[in-house]
Amino acid sequence: MIIDRRDALAGMVAMFGAGLYAPIARAAKAQATGISDGPPSTPVFSAQQRAAVTALSERVMPTTDTPGAIAAGVPAFIEKLLADWAAPEDRKPILAGLDAIEARSQQDYKVATDKATPAQQDALLTLAMEDKLPGGEDFFDKFRQLVITGYFTSEIGITQEREYLPVPGRYDGAYPYSQVNKVFSS
Amino acid sequence: MADKFDAIVIGSGVSGGWAAKELTEKGLKVLMLDRGVMVEHGEGYDFDGKPAFEIPSRDIMPKSLVDSDYFIAKHGYVSPGNRKFYNNDRLNPYAYGEGEKFYWIRPGAVGGKSLIWGRWSFRWSPEDFEANKREQVGIDWPIRYEDLAPWYDYVEKYIGVSGSRENLPQLPDSAFQPPMQMNIAEKWVKGRLEATTPGRKLINTRLSNMTEDKEAQGRSKCQFRNQCGRGCSFGAYFSTQAVTLPAARATGRLTLRSDAVVSNLEYDPKTKKVTGVRVVDAKTKQAEVIPARLVFLCASAMASTQILMNSRIPGSSKSHFDTSGTLGRYVMDHIFRVGISGEIPGMTDYIEYGRRPGGVYIPRFRNVGGEEGIGFRRGYGYQGSARRDPAQPVGFGASMKQGMRKYGGWKFGMGAFGECLPYEDNRVSLHADKVDRFGIPLMRFDVTFRENELRMMRDARTEGEKMLRAAGLLNVTSDEGEHVPGDAIHEMGGARMAADPRQSVLNKWSQAHDAANLFVTDGAQMASISCVNPSLTFMALTARAADYAVKQMKAGAI
Repeated sequence: MIIDRRDALAGMVAMFGAGLYAPIARAAKAQATGISDGPPSTPVFSAQQRAAVTALSERVMPTTDTPGAIAAGVPAFIEKLLADWAAPEDRKPILAGLDAIEARSQQDYKVATDKATPAQQDALLTLAMEDKLPGGEDFFDKFRQLVITGYFTSEIGITQEREYLPVPGRYDGAYPYSQVNKVFSS
Repeated sequence: MADKFDAIVIGSGVSGGWAAKELTEKGLKVLMLDRGVMVEHGEGYDFDGKPAFEIPSRDIMPKSLVDSDYFIAKHGYVSPGNRKFYNNDRLNPYAYGEGEKFYWIRPGAVGGKSLIWGRWSFRWSPEDFEANKREQVGIDWPIRYEDLAPWYDYVEKYIGVSGSRENLPQLPDSAFQPPMQMNIAEKWVKGRLEATTPGRKLINTRLSNMTEDKEAQGRSKCQFRNQCGRGCSFGAYFSTQAVTLPAARATGRLTLRSDAVVSNLEYDPKTKKVTGVRVVDAKTKQAEVIPARLVFLCASAMASTQILMNSRIPGSSKSHFDTSGTLGRYVMDHIFRVGISGEIPGMTDYIEYGRRPGGVYIPRFRNVGGEEGIGFRRGYGYQGSARRDPAQPVGFGASMKQGMRKYGGWKFGMGAFGECLPYEDNRVSLHADKVDRFGIPLMRFDVTFRENELRMMRDARTEGEKMLRAAGLLNVTSDEGEHVPGDAIHEMGGARMAADPRQSVLNKWSQAHDAANLFVTDGAQMASISCVNPSLTFMALTARAADYAVKQMKAGAI
C-alpha cells in the first residue's frame, strides 16, 4: 500500500508542531488551506482593549427587547476575525481607534473606557463617529461594521433579532410586512 | 487492464453527467472521470441548510485565504460554505499573466459547474444558429434549431425547467414547469416597462429550479431557500449529483472515479481513433492509460481544449486533433459587468416571503425582427430582480437596532449579458515550458473583447437606463465594471464544430473530424455563443451526440 504523501506529512506537522523545518511545512501545504476555527491563534487585544471592545460593541448593538452584542458573542467574533480571518493591516485602524478612545476616556472621565458609564461610552463613540478623535471616523465605520456583521451572523442575531426562516417552502412576492414586523434571516 | 469499459466520459459536470446517463442507459459500460474530489448528493453538501454561525468564519471568505488559494475563484462567488466545489487556484494555476487577462473560474469537485452554476436555462433561437452564416462571421453552424429542438424537449422534461410561455421568436419556449412568480414590484416594472418601451418584454426567469416535484427521481420542488450554491439536498435544481448521476448509477453500468486528472488522449494515427485516456491520480500522482473504445470529452470548454492540445503527435507540438489548425481558437465568453438599477416607488407594505432563486429577464431586442444599422452585431439580454434589503440606519445604539428591523424601499437591478463574436486570434495555447503539479503544460490565454462587444455594452447601459427611467423608476444609475473574458463563467469555443474538416475540430455530431470515436460535447464545441446562458444547450447537444454515438457503435462504424 502506498502511503498517502500528504497524510504522512500532516502527521509530521502534528509531531513537530511549530518547530517544523520550513520546506517540510511548505510541502504539507500542498493541499487546500483550511479555515481557522476555535479561539484566536494570537491575541489581538490587550486586556484593556478587549474590555473596551466588549463595552463598546454592546453600546453599538445594545440589549433591548432582544439580547445585545455581548450575549451574541460579538467581542469574541471581532478578535477571532482580526486574528485569523482578516488581513493583518485590518487590525490597525481598530487598535488605533481603541487607543484614541481610551486616551479620551482617561482625559475626560479619568477611567478606562470599559469603566465609563454607558452615557459616557456613547459620548466617546459619538466623538469617533464625528471624527473628533484621531482616526475616529475610520475606526467607527469599521468597528460598527464588525459589530453588525458579528451580530447578524450569530445565533442570537439570526434567530432572535430576526425572523429565522431556514426553509420557506414557498414564495410570496406580496407578503404583508405587518405580519412579521421584522427582517427575515436564513 | 483489459477493455473493461465501452466508453470513458471525461468530466462529470453538466455535459459529462448527461453523457454518462445517456450512454449507460443505452447499455454501455461507462467510466466517468473527474479531476475533483468526490461529493455525494446530500451527504456531501457539508453546509446545506446551515445558518452562518454554523459555517466556518461565518461564511465570509477570509481575505488571506482568498489571496492565497482562491484569487480567481473569488470572481466566481466562492465562500466557506461552498469552497469544496471550487478549484484551488494556488494548486491548479494557469498562465494568463503572460497573455491577456482571463478569469478561468473552475470547479474542483465531482459534479463540476453543475454544483455552482446560476441555473438560468434558455433555448437558443433559430437566429442564433443562422447568424454566423448570414453575417459571414466565424463559420456556419452545421446544425439548425430544428436539429436541437427535440433534444431540448428531451432534457427539459427530465431536469425540470420553470418558466413562462412567451412565444418570442428570439427566445423559444421550453417544455416548462410553472414559472416562479414575479414579486409585486417586478409586476409593476413589467407593466410600466412594456407600456413605455413597446416591443420590449420583461418575463419570468427560466430556471432549472423546479416548481413541481419529480417523485420518480426523488427530487422535490424548490423550497425557496436560495442557497443553491451549497448543494441542495432537495434536488430541486439540476446538478449531476441530483439528476444524471443517480440515473447512470441505476443502470449498474457506471464506474465513477474522482481525483482522476486526465492529461491527454492516446491516439492511433493508422486507425484514426483514440485508443486510451491517460489519467493521473491526483492523490498518488501515479499515471495510467485506460483503454477506450469511445470517449466523451466533457471536461469544460477550456479543459477539454487543453486535453486535446496536450494530445500531441510524438516529437511534435501539434495535436492529433488539430489537422484543421483551428484547435484553441475562437474562444468566447459572454461580456457583462454593465449594471443598471433604480428605486421603485411605493408598495412598501409588502415584502417577499421566501428567497426566490433567479429573478426576471429582459430578452434580447437588438438586431432582431429586422433591426439593423445600430453599430454592432448580435445582442444582449438583462437578468434582474426587484427586492427590498434591510434598512441601513446610521449611527449606533437602540435606535439603530430598531431601525434595522425594517426594510428599505423596493429596488430593481439588472445586468446585461452580451454575445461575443468568434475571433480566430482569441485563442488558448499550451505554455512552452511551465507545467502544473501533474506535469501538464499550463494553459495560456490570449483572449480579449473587441469593439463589437464594447459597443454592445455601451448600448446596454444606455438602453437600460432609458427603459428604467421611462418606466418610472427613480434615481436610476448605471455602472460598468472591467470586462474580463471568463468572468461570466460562460467561456466557450476552442474546438468548434462545422461541416468542413479543414476549418473545424468537430462535425455536426460533436464528433472529432480526426477521430470517429471521440466526441466533445461541452462548451468547447460552440461556433458562436448567443447571448443566453449556455448550459441547457450543452445538455441537448450531449444527449444528441450520445444517441448518435451509440447508433454508430451498434452499426460498427465506431
